Amino acid sequence: MGDEQESEPVIGTGNQDELIMQQQRQIEREISESTALVGELEPIVSLNSEYSNDNVYLEKIKDLSSKYKHIRRTRPDGNCFFRAFTYAMIEQMLENSNELEQFIKLIECSKMGLLRLGFPEFTVDDFYETFMDVLKRVRDIKNVNDAKKELHTLFNEQGYSDYMVVYLRLLTSGHLQRDQEFYSCFIEGGRTVVDFCHQEVEPMYKESDHIHIMAACAALETGVRVVYMDRGSSKSNIEHDLPEGTAPSVHLLYRPGHYDILYL
Amino acid sequence: MAGLSPSERRLQKELMSLVKEPPPGVTVDSDVIERNLLQWLINMDGASGTLYEGENFQLQFKFSNKYPFDSPEVTFVGPNIPVHPHVYSNGHICLSILTDDWSPALSVQAVCLSIVSMLSSCKEKKRPPDNAFYVKTCNKNPKKTKWWYHDDSV
Repeated sequence: MGDEQESEPVIGTGNQDELIMQQQRQIEREISESTALVGELEPIVSLNSEYSNDNVYLEKIKDLSSKYKHIRRTRPDGNCFFRAFTYAMIEQMLENSNELEQFIKLIECSKMGLLRLGFPEFTVDDFYETFMDVLKRVRDIKNVNDAKKELHTLFNEQGYSDYMVVYLRLLTSGHLQRDQEFYSCFIEGGRTVVDFCHQEVEPMYKESDHIHIMAACAALETGVRVVYMDRGSSKSNIEHDLPEGTAPSVHLLYRPGHYDILYL
Repeated sequence: MAGLSPSERRLQKELMSLVKEPPPGVTVDSDVIERNLLQWLINMDGASGTLYEGENFQLQFKFSNKYPFDSPEVTFVGPNIPVHPHVYSNGHICLSILTDDWSPALSVQAVCLSIVSMLSSCKEKKRPPDNAFYVKTCNKNPKKTKWWYHDDSV
């Protein structure tokens, strides 16, 4: 590390940098203010309003609405996959207490796994404890609808929601590192799996790719179906089950750069 | 630990851990820090066998109430700023984990280790090539600089 690599601020430092960053922060704030971390259920056709003159998309929304009833939007802050995935998974397990108990056990064991990989306990602890706290709070509510409401409330409080995101990021990183031989073939640019985890998985707001999803699914022992909706020429949307051949428990809609939750 | 914010609780834990298992050459005065957990001064000795052997440095860490989601603001302060290609003469450090690659799973300890290793691997003591220009034009807070990392692994 270090001396042989040159590093310097981009040309035009100083005031110009500050302006760019101010503008970036302003955009981020606007996004934050206009979208809830996790939104309410909306009918699929609510997507139409975003694409009023766009026939390619309108056609695809029609296709989407033939398979799915609802969509739940998430805040496009780079954490959307992790937030959507965790939310959808827990929400669905609220209907099945056995699954939820099993999941709680899986999370209980997961902390040891991270510590064994060398994650320091004092950084893992806070995130683990919040994750468990949320699981137990929703488990202890007997009425499923009330439990769902509580889940929704907690996921819209940054203090809980972001902690959940970090913990799943850590579990995903842990899984990638444990299975690095396999995942190393998916990483471009000569980076090691560990470098990739430090730069693209563990930091907040870094967007998720296929490899994040594969590892997150493996870490939580579940499957997800991602429905891709873009400007491509096919009339229907392309679906991907990850890992391949696994029955999906969570359905996500992917539009370039963003994930939302879908409901059958 | 009643009355502490989540950031302060986390920093309290980090402080205890840093006092218990400090990276080589790193010392802190925990009594001073406990009075204000949001700003730390850390002493760092140049490792033996490196270009900085025998030198002492001081690092300042400033934390916001969004820590650990926001990265700490880390600068060298005091009379001796290490002469290093990634350290500007005003104490600003070009290190990706302090901005783009910061993660809430990192810690003061991890940052100290990175800086020790950055210093230890140095082969020639010199300032960054654009030092004079940068120091004149930059913001006081290094997190406000849009850093350009030529190599992500730093």
